[in-house]
Amino acid sequence: MAVINLWAKQGYMSTPDGQSIYFWGYSKGAAEPAQLPGPPIIVKQGEAVTINLTNNLPEPVSVFLPGQTGVKVGSQFVKPQYSGGNLISFVNYASSNGGTVSYTFTPTRPGTYIYESGTNPHKQVLLGLYGGIVVRPEDYDENTSRTAYGSGTDTEFDREYLIIFSEIDPSLHQAVIEGKPYMISKHHPRYWTMNGRCAPDTMLPDNAPYLPSQPYGAMVMAEPTEKVLIRYIGAGIDSHPLHPHGNHTRIIAMDGRLLKNGARDRSFKRFTVLVGPGQTYDQIFQWTGLGYTLDNPIPTIIPNRRNLGIGEAGWTMWSGSPYLGEKGEIPEGVVSFNEVGEYHFMLHSHSEPKITNWGAFPGGMMTMISIYPTGFLSPDVGVLSQPVGKE
Amino acid sequence: MATLFFSLWVKRGTVTLNNQNIPFWGLATLATGPRLPGPTIKAKVNDNIRIRLSNSFLNIKQIGEPVGLMFPGIEGVMVEEWPAGNSRPVQPQYINGELVAFTDYVDRGSIFLPKGLIYKFQAKKPGIYLYESGVKSEKQIQMGVYGIIVIKPVGYNMPGHSNYKTAYGAGTNSNYDVEKVLVMGEIDTTMHENVVPEKNYNMLDFKPNNWILNGRVYPHTIDSDNNSSQPYGSRINCRVNDRVLLRIANAGYEAHTFYFGGLTGRIIAEDSYPLVSADSDLSYEKNGITLAPGQTADVIIIPTARGEYILYDRDYNHIVNEESFPGGMMTSMVAG
Repeated sequence: MAVINLWAKQGYMSTPDGQSIYFWGYSKGAAEPAQLPGPPIIVKQGEAVTINLTNNLPEPVSVFLPGQTGVKVGSQFVKPQYSGGNLISFVNYASSNGGTVSYTFTPTRPGTYIYESGTNPHKQVLLGLYGGIVVRPEDYDENTSRTAYGSGTDTEFDREYLIIFSEIDPSLHQAVIEGKPYMISKHHPRYWTMNGRCAPDTMLPDNAPYLPSQPYGAMVMAEPTEKVLIRYIGAGIDSHPLHPHGNHTRIIAMDGRLLKNGARDRSFKRFTVLVGPGQTYDQIFQWTGLGYTLDNPIPTIIPNRRNLGIGEAGWTMWSGSPYLGEKGEIPEGVVSFNEVGEYHFMLHSHSEPKITNWGAFPGGMMTMISIYPTGFLSPDVGVLSQPVGKE
Repeated sequence: MATLFFSLWVKRGTVTLNNQNIPFWGLATLATGPRLPGPTIKAKVNDNIRIRLSNSFLNIKQIGEPVGLMFPGIEGVMVEEWPAGNSRPVQPQYINGELVAFTDYVDRGSIFLPKGLIYKFQAKKPGIYLYESGVKSEKQIQMGVYGIIVIKPVGYNMPGHSNYKTAYGAGTNSNYDVEKVLVMGEIDTTMHENVVPEKNYNMLDFKPNNWILNGRVYPHTIDSDNNSSQPYGSRINCRVNDRVLLRIANAGYEAHTFYFGGLTGRIIAEDSYPLVSADSDLSYEKNGITLAPGQTADVIIIPTARGEYILYDRDYNHIVNEESFPGGMMTSMVAG
């Protein structure tokens, strides 16, 4: 039995342009901060799960689990909650200022799912009360059978990444802390987030100490030919077209349902994946880059340096060489974040205004995929595990 | 095979959204006021459908503009002038080289001068189809000139027939116990109050403030069907393990994500093309589906536990009335 303890709390998140934004989020410990997104819930198909929610917010909060069946509170199935005939929550909730509720269910299908508050969702989900659920297939084994949907489903992977998208309108967040009316009709996002962060923070490592409320990075790291499982979740209210430059992914499942009917493979390749509200997309990505092998570096004509897009200090992922695993010269004064001659390319929203922070490029829904030379990436990179909270 | 005749008029009326009366233009029969959505047209494959659209003649609540109808997804639509005229294929209409309508339309006339057009086509393939204004569509569809055509396979209503209670015929995984058509859309109250016939409305000012399902906002979506200007309820009553067929159409100008109340549904047709055939199953499961304007999807949902499920637009800013949850594009499914 997996027991997941969540607290609903208020907190502050940071944006790269120096703002500190009030938000509501789930936390993994009584003494730990609210976080954006909430802690990922990593469980196994067929094993009972209990989610205990303690609500420290000033209004009722719930954990709604779209796509999970048989969710119960006590001995009863969860159900819409009414007060005086008015619907107030899609499912049972924890009362304000210290209330608790426990949900139990047994996930029957592997896959990627969202969890979010089903109470005042136009406010609470937009304020940050959302997170991701990964259900491992029954036969999953980290060492011997690492698949998204079970052996025989053509979903093997070497590394995996969970990326959750949303939007933030700081004015609405500010209205909540100031006790002003929350006017959803005025919703006008200024920040677009991947795992609660805006670029370039998306490329910082997990648990960066200066982002205590945004613990998850969104940089995809792999070695050539590795199978990378990328799990997307749309937690906001807009659709976002995401694509990795010059590459494509194969969508193997949507909303936690394998795209396969009997023997009929329905998976499909896409350059751009439109991530819709409340929906999830599992993709297998494999970088093979123009027939790259260790002995066959990518044939490239190096452009004149004046034609190279080399950014200001702090922005350069370029190694100075187009060859994977090699480093070359870079202009004086330019700081390169390239570690070992790895190859970086962008993964971003193709709705370009959303790769800004309040209008300033670069920012928002943008990160990098980095391909490391074979043998250079630790096996600990690209591993999802259940975070454990401190009491 | 039958010939089905429908007589439609576009009339001015009011709809009630969140206790406010809002003017709209909608489709009506001769005897009734306008409806939002317009009257549902039901037919079977091979039926010949004749829809006479009249302006002016006997229409004391005419909208003051030419009217015309489009039938996206239906091929071979012919038009015939009424009371007398030759048949011709529908086509875009130009005046002095300028496009004025996507399709043949009925101009205004005097109350004594009967004017009408009969749109004619054969129902060739099953499905649900939007029919909507083809004249100043950016204005008239928002004002309410749209409805649904439901075409069923032959035998859908004949017990024992292999197509009985199917949406697309035998072998398409479209058999159902309960069927519900849900038409999504949005309404900009300010626009409705300020539209003037024959004058351009600046659609850059379009800013919807109501999100509707079958012409209503929650909680009125769960009221029963009635004889008002918003006749179609959206509440779904079913039993555990029923195959509930949701036939979702987006008649609005914005994309919407219809969410199945936490349940998982199987998409069995898109834009009325079934995804399942004898040699191929391309259907897929989803917890919600994003439909762009003009798109439709058919979804089978099987509730396996008794209880109530709230179905809604996952664009959470669309499930409010006047800034407050609950409201807007939501409905309820009750499995007994």
